[in-house]
Amino acid sequence: MTTTTVPRRPRRKVEGIYYAFLVPSLLLFTLAITVPAIIGIFFSFTNSIGFGEWEIVGLINYIAMFSDPAILSSYLFTFGFAAVTVVLVNAIAFLLAVGLTAKIRLKTALRTVFVIPMVVSGIIIAYVFNFLFSNSLPAFGQATGIGVLSESILANPDLAWIGIVIVTAWQAIPGTLLIYIAGLLAVPGDVYEAADLDGASKWQQLLRITLPLVVGYVIINVLLGFKNFLNAYDVIVGLTNGGPGTATRSIPMTIVTGFTGGDYAYQMANATMFFVIVVVISLLQLRITRGRNAI
Amino acid sequence: MDRTTRRTPRVVAASLGLLLAGATLTGCAPGDAPETVSFHLTKPEAIPYFRELIKEYNASQDDVEVILDASSNLQAGFLRGNPPDLGLLNYNMEMARFMERGALSDLSDMPEAERILPEVQDLVGQYATYPGRTSVLPYSVMAASVIYNTEMFEQQGLEVPETYDELIAVCDQLKAAGITPFYGTFKDPWTVAQGWFDYTVGGEVDVADFYEEMNELGTEVGPESPVSFQKTLADPVDRMKLLIDNYANANAASKGYGDGNLAFAKGEAAMYLQGPWALGEIAKTSPDLELGTFPLPMTDDPEDLQVRVNIDLAAWIPEASEHQEAAREFLSYLFQQDVMDAYNTAQLGYGTTTDAAPVTDPRIVGMKEYYEAADFYQGASRAIPLTIPTENYLQGIALGSSVESTLKTLDADWARLALRR
Repeated sequence: MTTTTVPRRPRRKVEGIYYAFLVPSLLLFTLAITVPAIIGIFFSFTNSIGFGEWEIVGLINYIAMFSDPAILSSYLFTFGFAAVTVVLVNAIAFLLAVGLTAKIRLKTALRTVFVIPMVVSGIIIAYVFNFLFSNSLPAFGQATGIGVLSESILANPDLAWIGIVIVTAWQAIPGTLLIYIAGLLAVPGDVYEAADLDGASKWQQLLRITLPLVVGYVIINVLLGFKNFLNAYDVIVGLTNGGPGTATRSIPMTIVTGFTGGDYAYQMANATMFFVIVVVISLLQLRITRGRNAI
Repeated sequence: MDRTTRRTPRVVAASLGLLLAGATLTGCAPGDAPETVSFHLTKPEAIPYFRELIKEYNASQDDVEVILDASSNLQAGFLRGNPPDLGLLNYNMEMARFMERGALSDLSDMPEAERILPEVQDLVGQYATYPGRTSVLPYSVMAASVIYNTEMFEQQGLEVPETYDELIAVCDQLKAAGITPFYGTFKDPWTVAQGWFDYTVGGEVDVADFYEEMNELGTEVGPESPVSFQKTLADPVDRMKLLIDNYANANAASKGYGDGNLAFAKGEAAMYLQGPWALGEIAKTSPDLELGTFPLPMTDDPEDLQVRVNIDLAAWIPEASEHQEAAREFLSYLFQQDVMDAYNTAQLGYGTTTDAAPVTDPRIVGMKEYYEAADFYQGASRAIPLTIPTENYLQGIALGSSVESTLKTLDADWARLALRR
């Protein structure tokens, strides 16, 4: 008995301070996020339009949702978009990071340049690119006779998503790049020296040494990136507003119509579904990656 | 990471709510201070005019102080039971829901209610009603139809068309002369809905009757129902598609509302399917351009011609307001005839009262006879709840989607919405 109480005392003092650190944000998190989320889940079983009278309607919202092509297509679009973007962003950011950590000139200046897109607000980037896609690119397309480019790609239901991928990637690469740079700098230099002595080419070093050593960072970037891209909203609003037609309506955009269009309960059901799916994906990703002792 | 970003709008809304609640509480400090009336008005173009009016009103007496509220979230205000004391804003389906659930007080005993043109008051009832109440008083109506370049029409020796065949003839002649008949701005979905869809449908179908039946049918709407989007609107929407495919500018898909105003001001097309709000924008580029308006003819009978209207501003006083008497007094001040006339003249609006001054602006005078004869309808796209992405669907049609399948989708969405409401 005494052996257990003695070491506990000093630990408790420290814990007290840590709790003091945690309580304010825990309180805010509970009040501003957990409580509203639970209220939202509750309202997904009602027919509320956000105010006024309502009654509990059971699972009707969920049943209507699964037969709603607008919602199903928004899920398809959003997951497809997130998958493509996450691959593109990580491939480009990783190669850039390798370049920017190598022995090159103007390293600091170049790093600054590549990080600039991160500090500009998404909606502004989207409007600038909107102008480029709708005016500059078609002008270029007409001048060079490239048929596909002679009309705004944002006006083409089959190509508009490419515009969104490009702009989202342009904005997301810097953040991913910074994490990769940090990862690459943490790789000790002597493993490369050893590899050089063994006669490994630069390409072999990249694939056999660098990549395995930063795989933890790759997983972080893919995880965070995928979940961020599922929440795509501002860039799409600025570029296509979900159009042409409904070709680029993301899940969050559909959910927001619940507030603006008086379809509160229905979109709360959608949000609940989305939340469950994201949680399941995160758990799966964690389970798959845990085996590699990455995080 | 995921959770915080996803919940951001709600967090912002919550903190804004707290801030607003705090602001209103301090505004209600007891003492000899005058009674405050918060006046909700969000139309940006209207704010300068009403700000002056408020200043005059506050200076004219000591009992009431009117405070302009141009930014608070209306839905949140009603939700908290703390709405503005007086609202003057666009009347649409979203606003109608507040009325339908009894959140707006009865104004039928006010002398101003007697002055409203009955056919204009009827427009309010098309979206929703509350038994025994007149809770919304229209202040200004925007009439919209085809805007045309009168000079171009004169040069080509063209008359304003009054039947669908005449319209096609006008378009063919313009096209033959190398002039783009219509300027389309399909990059902005709302422009497809407001102009192309509403004008073609309203020119052929009785919009109010159609939606009354659609609302009665509810979940029954489908291929077999007596009215439906795919059945009743197929003809006008096919014609809309025909006009778009044959007579609009080739690059319409890449052009937005701003581009359209600029191009039309520069004389790049003869007709433009926009409302009077675009006239002011066009005048910024070409102040001397002579423009006129005429209803889009969709049938063979000139008697069928109608213009699209919307209640641009309407006044109401919430049940939950604690300053209803003071708000009513200010409402009467706003509804003085010369105050209303000055506003409507400046904003190219049509008066809503029996004693309103007639419109004289040559750009909108072409719609006067139709407005006075009550030959008008509220846009068909405005009667569909916002939760159905109507504007996006219509943009899809303009860019090449099938009319039939899009209208079928609208029917399915309508029935699904009826199921869960």
